[in-house]
Amino acid sequence: MSLTKEKMLEAYATMKKIRLFEEKVAGLFAEGKLPGFVHLYAGEEAIATGVCAHLSERDYITSTHRGHGHCIAKGVDINSMMAEVYGKATGACKGKGGSMHIADVDKGMLGANGIVGAGGPLACGSGLMAKTLGTDQVTVCFFGDGAAEQGTMHEAMNLACCWILPVVFVCENNGYAESTPWGYHCAAKNIADRGVAYDMPGVTVDGTDFFAIYETAEEAIGRARRGEGPSLIECRGFRYYGHFEGDAMLYVTEEEKKRNRARDPIENFKKRATERGLLSEEQIAELDSKVAAIIEEAFKFAEKSAWPENKEVLTDVYVNYP
Amino acid sequence: MSTIGIIANPASGKDIRRLVTHASVFDNLEKSHILRRVFLAIDALGVPQVLYMPDYDGLVEKALKGLKLSLKADQLHMDMWADERDTTEAARQFCEMDVGCIITLGGDGTNRAVAKACSEIPIVAISTGTNNVFPSMIEGTVAGMAAGMAAREMVDVDRFTYVAKRLEVYVDDQMAEIALIDVVVCTELFVGSRALWDPHRIREIVLARAEPDCIGMSCIGGLLHPLGPRDPQGMYVRLGGGNTTVLAPVGPGLISKVDTREYRLLSLGEEVVLEPAACTIAVDGERQLEVFAHQKIRVRLTNRGPRVVDVRRYLYEASRRGVLRTVVK
Amino acid sequence: MAARTITFREAINEAMRLEMRRDPTVILFGEDVAGGATLPHMEGENKEAWGGVLGVRTGLAPEFGRNRVLDTPISESAFIGAAVGAASTGLRPIAELMFIDFLGVCFDQIFNQGAKLRYMFGGKAQVPMVVRSMIGAGFRAAAQHSGCLYSIFTHIPGLKTVVPSTPYDAKGLLSAAIRDNDPVMFFEHKLLYDIEGEVPEDNYTIPLGEAEVKREGSDATIVTVGRMVHFSLEAAEKLANDGVNVEVVDLRSLSPMDGDTILDSVKKTHRLVVVDEDNPRCSLATDVIALVADQAFDYLDAPCKMITAPHTPVPFSPGLEDAYIPSVESIVSTVKSFTG
Repeated sequence: MSLTKEKMLEAYATMKKIRLFEEKVAGLFAEGKLPGFVHLYAGEEAIATGVCAHLSERDYITSTHRGHGHCIAKGVDINSMMAEVYGKATGACKGKGGSMHIADVDKGMLGANGIVGAGGPLACGSGLMAKTLGTDQVTVCFFGDGAAEQGTMHEAMNLACCWILPVVFVCENNGYAESTPWGYHCAAKNIADRGVAYDMPGVTVDGTDFFAIYETAEEAIGRARRGEGPSLIECRGFRYYGHFEGDAMLYVTEEEKKRNRARDPIENFKKRATERGLLSEEQIAELDSKVAAIIEEAFKFAEKSAWPENKEVLTDVYVNYP
Repeated sequence: MSTIGIIANPASGKDIRRLVTHASVFDNLEKSHILRRVFLAIDALGVPQVLYMPDYDGLVEKALKGLKLSLKADQLHMDMWADERDTTEAARQFCEMDVGCIITLGGDGTNRAVAKACSEIPIVAISTGTNNVFPSMIEGTVAGMAAGMAAREMVDVDRFTYVAKRLEVYVDDQMAEIALIDVVVCTELFVGSRALWDPHRIREIVLARAEPDCIGMSCIGGLLHPLGPRDPQGMYVRLGGGNTTVLAPVGPGLISKVDTREYRLLSLGEEVVLEPAACTIAVDGERQLEVFAHQKIRVRLTNRGPRVVDVRRYLYEASRRGVLRTVVK
Repeated sequence: MAARTITFREAINEAMRLEMRRDPTVILFGEDVAGGATLPHMEGENKEAWGGVLGVRTGLAPEFGRNRVLDTPISESAFIGAAVGAASTGLRPIAELMFIDFLGVCFDQIFNQGAKLRYMFGGKAQVPMVVRSMIGAGFRAAAQHSGCLYSIFTHIPGLKTVVPSTPYDAKGLLSAAIRDNDPVMFFEHKLLYDIEGEVPEDNYTIPLGEAEVKREGSDATIVTVGRMVHFSLEAAEKLANDGVNVEVVDLRSLSPMDGDTILDSVKKTHRLVVVDEDNPRCSLATDVIALVADQAFDYLDAPCKMITAPHTPVPFSPGLEDAYIPSVESIVSTVKSFTG
């Protein structure tokens, strides 16, 4: 696997940014500062980070309702993200999308998505663009175990394989579709196995292990970039927070929560990277405070940003509407 | 005691080799179907109880769905980690209960995890992995028949088992891992996706078995000097810059020219000290240990592996003794 | 510009062909838009099997190749969504949704993705896609292949809706729709495919949102679209024999809608009839009448009337289906009821 010290520093910073961003958002939500509702990614950091480490700004991702981690890993500006979660005019979407629709097409982030399973077809579209125009851009479609049961995902995986599109399907199996356990909603109880049905490789990987995800994604994305077609990676992990903030998570036992804590992707990464001497405790501490400052800055930026003006209700519906 | 333990690994046959070699996905539905046939055979032989390892993919529950069996199938009470710790814990419990035999569905790694906790109980090993040397591709029904007879002691199973060899990996004099087939030094620094497929990233190999008719690292040795499960020897191979090249199938559909610098046979009890380096140690095809340059790694070949049922010889003997034969007047 | 007589179907084909020649980012996909994909005697010989449903042999696949004219599996969600994804990343896809009734299996991708992306992203995306789809009763295709449903799409912010009635309009509006930077639903009435009309050979566009007065008159205004334009013109002809001069306004685009032309006409004739093949509730017909009631009420000399399909699915049996579709006679009698 092609993992340099620089990449590792970057990966650690990204995972930490995601974690602290989500913790901040959880706190702000509890304080009643945020409108609407939020779905937090904490616990799944290794997936977005390990996958997006192989993507450039020109590559695309489609995301889910739990999209903050994907946004950060794909390089969306954190200030604009925090402002968007607030609904401020300086938000990534001028406050019109909110947490569930943060997007930055220029960074290759085709949007968090409030419709479960909607990203699959969109990913086929950006994949088709790359194929039609003969570029080497790759699209990664992140989807959850819940989305795995949507018809759109089945259709999209089939279409991507029929058209041999440069798309990698990354299933983030965090164990629960809202409160419904994966063992109930997935009849065959395995998502990677579906690769067989659509004639693409299906791989299962530990969704808490950055190194495993990084190595697997490198091969899958490389394959797509070489024009060899789609792959399906099922990442098995968990989420620390509920489906949405306010979910009491009665469906997760205390034992399970304890086990999850013991598999923390960031702690695991930190331990192994420092043991290896690739990152030092000092570097980690420095990054930790740097990232904390970035998140604090994003919070302040969002707080002091203005609300959008009411006339903004009417703009951005169309490019041109006589 | 006529109880059978079942350990079916839901994770086997799904690693990165689907991307980097031509390995197929071993889908879990097929594993459940194999288990169903195993259960039907065991039940037909009148085994009263089966205990099994729980797993998140519910392989056994799916196998049992809609089956009408006389036997009682019970899940072990245990915490689940969704990794090899589950297999080892289940094997430990089976050993403690002294079950008549253990049926495994998985690859080399699955059986290694069993062997970590249990070497006394005979194993019927069904292959559902990627490149497997240890378990064999046997039909579930047949495996179930053999296990059933063994558990009920219809034919003395001891005479038809062999004791597998076992490689013990010591890190700074502490036993850290075991392997049933191979211990491989990989230049990758992280366990990562675990699998091995690129011989250029492999430096040293210690083999309990060197099988020319298998794929994987065992075959590299097998092409230098074949060693079967019953040969009281092992092998050490140093790769790179060598005097002998072998054309080895190192993965499914992946045939590589592998440079070997030297190889030597090891006798039981003999130790190899691996070259010091920051690297990963793979056991039975999976990167498992991340080790450091300052650590001293020794590998010892022993005969302390699990007892393995030779299903074919066992069933031949059962036939000779007519155990499933009834003469109707 | 040299013009000649071609069919509505040929006009649509020509618009796509010329736009695809003009712009390499224009691609076409949908079920059987070429047909026979991968078959050695079809794709292998650069032939198309269907070139679109209803035997519309477009000849586009042989000219542009299968990389730009792609058959899809029968997966409307996937390929309509792919159009959204492709449009937001640099292509100008034309997706063919065979019958508009199939919106039921892909509505999310149109309504929640295509239509809303730009707004949700604060204007930082555009979705220049066209969904072409067949509409209309009269083909004995029964309830799941005969709806109009353009009213549903017109209701949705972010979408544009276009319903051409003549070959000339079809070509110009489709070219405009392909060049437009917003998602456009382009509705083709299946019983118009064979009608003929004068169409210039060259490329041209008709701006979306501009109605056309297809017949001038002073006694009443008929606002209509699609196949009903022809019914209305036929009715107008009959009414003219009785001395009633009806103005027929063909909206052409429903979203954006040319309210000015409607209002100008009503202010002139003081009477309004809306003829609409779609179902009547919350529809194009009610929308036009609401506009006039709101902005030209004082000009009206009679209650506004709407002639529409009933509030039912489309029946199969020929007699029933004919009874379902608004008729020329009903238009004539309705207009007479308040002009007579």
